Amino acid sequence: MEAQTAATGTTAGAGAASYFLVESKGNWAGPNAAAFLADAAALAEAGHRVRVFLVEDGVLSAVGTDVPEIRRLAEAGAEILVDDFSAAQRALSATTLSPHVRIAGMDLAAAALTEDGCRGVWH
Amino acid sequence: MARMERRVWDLLLILTAAPHSGDVVTSALRLSQAVLDRGGSVRVWACGYANMMTQDTFGDTKLPNTRDPEGHYPSPSAVVQRMIADGDGRFGWIACTACSEERGAVHHVPQVRHRSPLRLATTIAGARQTLYLGGA
Repeated sequence: MEAQTAATGTTAGAGAASYFLVESKGNWAGPNAAAFLADAAALAEAGHRVRVFLVEDGVLSAVGTDVPEIRRLAEAGAEILVDDFSAAQRALSATTLSPHVRIAGMDLAAAALTEDGCRGVWH
Repeated sequence: MARMERRVWDLLLILTAAPHSGDVVTSALRLSQAVLDRGGSVRVWACGYANMMTQDTFGDTKLPNTRDPEGHYPSPSAVVQRMIADGDGRFGWIACTACSEERGAVHHVPQVRHRSPLRLATTIAGARQTLYLGGA
C-alpha cells in the first residue's frame, strides 16, 4: 500500500468551523459519494478545517494516483484519511493509493468526533 | 427554580442500517469502542432492522462455524451486552419501540433501554455529537 502523509488539514481562520466528514459509500453506489466529497472540498475551499475519513467501501475512492475528487480535496487543504481496517478488508495492501491520503485507525476518528466544536457527518 | 442536571453523552450513533446490509454495524461498534478506549461515552440508538441485533433469542454465540467448530463467535446481542458491562456506564444501547414492534422484535436483552421515537430529539439533545449511520 502506497500512501504518504497528507497535509495537516486546512488552516482554519477566524470564524471557520471544523468538519470531520466520513464517506462510507463506494463510487459504484451512485453519484452521492463523489457529491459528498465535492461538498467537502467546497467547505475546505471556503476556509473551513476539513478532514475526510474514508471507511468501508469509501476507501475505494482513494485507489489510484489521480482521483479527481481526492486531488481537489488535497488542493483545497483538506486532510484525507483512509481507514486501516476497511483497506485491509478489501485487500488494498497491494494497491497504489492516492499520494494525498494517509492510513489512519478508528481511534483518530474517535478523537476528532469528540473534539469540542467539531461537526461530524457520516455518509 | 431548581433545574435538573441532564447527562450529556460524547457521541450518539443512530444506527439505521440492517445488520446484514454491509459493514456499517462493524463500523458503529469499532467507533464506539474507540471512543470508550479514550474514556468517552457513547450511545447507540437502534433504528429499523438494527433492532434485530439485541434480541434475547440469539443466546451468547452464533451458530457453529463448520470450518472452525471449536471457535467461539459471540452473537451480536452478546457483543452489545459485553460492551455495556465493560463500559461501566459509558456505553448505552437504545431500542426504538416503534421499529421493534413493527418487526416483532420486542424481546431485547435486559441491558437495552427501550425508547419511543418521540424521544429521539431529546436523545439527540443529550449528546455533544450525533451521527446517522446507514442512510435513511
